[in-house]
Amino acid sequence: MHTPFILSSFPRAILHVDGDAFFASCEQAVHPEYKGLPVITGKERGIVSAASYEAKAYGVSRGVPLSEVKKLCPNAIILPSDYETYSLFSLRLYAIIRRFTSQVEEYSIDEAFADLTGLRRTLRASYEDMAGQIQKRIHKELGITVSVGLAPSKVLAKVASKWKKPAGLTVIRGRNIHDYLEKYPVEKIWGIGSQTTTFLNKYGIKTALQYAEQSEEWISAQLSKPFQEIWRELRGESILPVTTEPKDTYASIGKSKTFTPSSSNKNYVFAQLAKNIENASIKARRYGLLAKRLIIYLRTQDFRHTGVEAQLSRASAFPNELLVAAQNLFGQIFNEHEQYRATGVVLMDFVSQDSLQLSLFERPLTVNNLRALYEAIDSLDARFGKHTVFAGAAFPAYQTPTYVGDRAELAGRKKHRIKGETNRQRLSVPMIMKEVR
Amino acid sequence: MKPVDKKRVEALTRFWQAHKRLPSYREMLQLFSWSSKGAVHHFVERLIRIGLIRRDAEHKLSPTSRLLHIPILGTVEAGWPSPAEEELVDNISLDEYLIPRRESTFLLKVSGDSMINAGINPGDLVLLERGRDPKHGDIVVAEVDHDWTMKYFDQPEKFSPVRLRAANPKYPVITADEEIKIAGVVVGVVRKYH
Repeated sequence: MHTPFILSSFPRAILHVDGDAFFASCEQAVHPEYKGLPVITGKERGIVSAASYEAKAYGVSRGVPLSEVKKLCPNAIILPSDYETYSLFSLRLYAIIRRFTSQVEEYSIDEAFADLTGLRRTLRASYEDMAGQIQKRIHKELGITVSVGLAPSKVLAKVASKWKKPAGLTVIRGRNIHDYLEKYPVEKIWGIGSQTTTFLNKYGIKTALQYAEQSEEWISAQLSKPFQEIWRELRGESILPVTTEPKDTYASIGKSKTFTPSSSNKNYVFAQLAKNIENASIKARRYGLLAKRLIIYLRTQDFRHTGVEAQLSRASAFPNELLVAAQNLFGQIFNEHEQYRATGVVLMDFVSQDSLQLSLFERPLTVNNLRALYEAIDSLDARFGKHTVFAGAAFPAYQTPTYVGDRAELAGRKKHRIKGETNRQRLSVPMIMKEVR
Repeated sequence: MKPVDKKRVEALTRFWQAHKRLPSYREMLQLFSWSSKGAVHHFVERLIRIGLIRRDAEHKLSPTSRLLHIPILGTVEAGWPSPAEEELVDNISLDEYLIPRRESTFLLKVSGDSMINAGINPGDLVLLERGRDPKHGDIVVAEVDHDWTMKYFDQPEKFSPVRLRAANPKYPVITADEEIKIAGVVVGVVRKYH
């Protein structure tokens, strides 16, 4: 017998909403003829992005190559990812939860946390009823299912939403926490990675319950703050807040893209890299961030990676500067006897655009000019579409389509365009892609 | 305050009156037609500095009493609000007019002529609301034998059998002994000429 960690049911009531095979479910919602059939997204990438539960029954899972899928499940419906539709569904998912509480955290495209604490009287419902209503409204209005978990903390709510899938509703009350943690492997806890798992296993800690039952002294002596917080959350204490502010800061921004066919042409491979650098710096500028460190990497046809990094003398998010640094690095790792199929870039160590420090011998004018130049470029792009102005070095990458053959199939919403819509402007209402008679 | 900022603050006040909460950063992007959350962030920080909104202990934004006292109507300096300004308050966009329930409305393209006498032509776009209970006389989209069809929903009495009726004599009436699944209720039709 284990003693309960806490006796009250919900000192805080935290809800975690988790989409069931989200991308595949969205496809089934806009293609009603695919309901009940094995649906797979990720055609353009050549591997499975999401598999519907019907496809999972055949042993298909995320990351499996599509060639493998054809053997496991020959009648699978394989679709190119239609991110436009998925993000519209995602926004609606958040909006439905917001009808119940304003404290909603948009955790990822298919996941959200919500704090329901204190709403029982206003909504005239128990916490469990609220969770059930949210789940039901999402199903009825969006035509997709979600699994929801209700618990006194975020970490436990995540355990709960995974407990039963798809369309599960799991409630973990304070006094029952230990029942759920008893068989829950420690490595499946949100925030515990492989390093920590190996460490914990050395001390014989295999389950979440064993972790939660360690003494506070042991936890604080052996583990860093995030794991001490997880320990308290597992014991029913709500430490991690449901943050309603959107993410406005990043530790790193990465962009990488596969191209087919593979290439050993130096200019072409560099152009692909240049395009990624432009994309990453567009994103950094959008958040007002400048990077001090740059990593580039190349992937060969047989999936080997080579990468190299550099510290920048001054933080930057301007391709004019980053490309010069990248060209140097690229020269160090590019080998003309290799066939490359992907390039990537990571920008790191950000400082805010407003707190930029110039290096000793620099003229402030240079930076101001660059800033003015990219403000102009960004406003042109906003008006006429992304990459209206791009670096000459990236030119070869824009001349060839990213995907050829089978993978080049247009994703749902790009294929079904409505009169008046353009290549980059479409209505913000999802479209059901079956025609009605 | 700059006049543009004043407009934005008014938009926030109006949002507050409609929803009893402040918009999220994402909603502010739409509200102000901005594309950068950084800009929203700076704007919010500015409003906090001048005391129109505040951030509570949980980092949630809420309006101060000052924000709620900014009049939306008319000018404060002198004179009467002009009738033109007063009209503005009741305006809704075509979007809001056509789509009363944003989260559950979908677009759907019509290919057949089964509702032609109801004025719905092949090629039209209909707005379909999911999760709404159909009432007698509504136009619905229903799934019959794995096919999707648009019909009138016929159920004059509460428990009488459901019938699906086309607005075209070419098509027979569908009765409930075949399996009928209502996918949604048609709430509007869009036909764009230019």
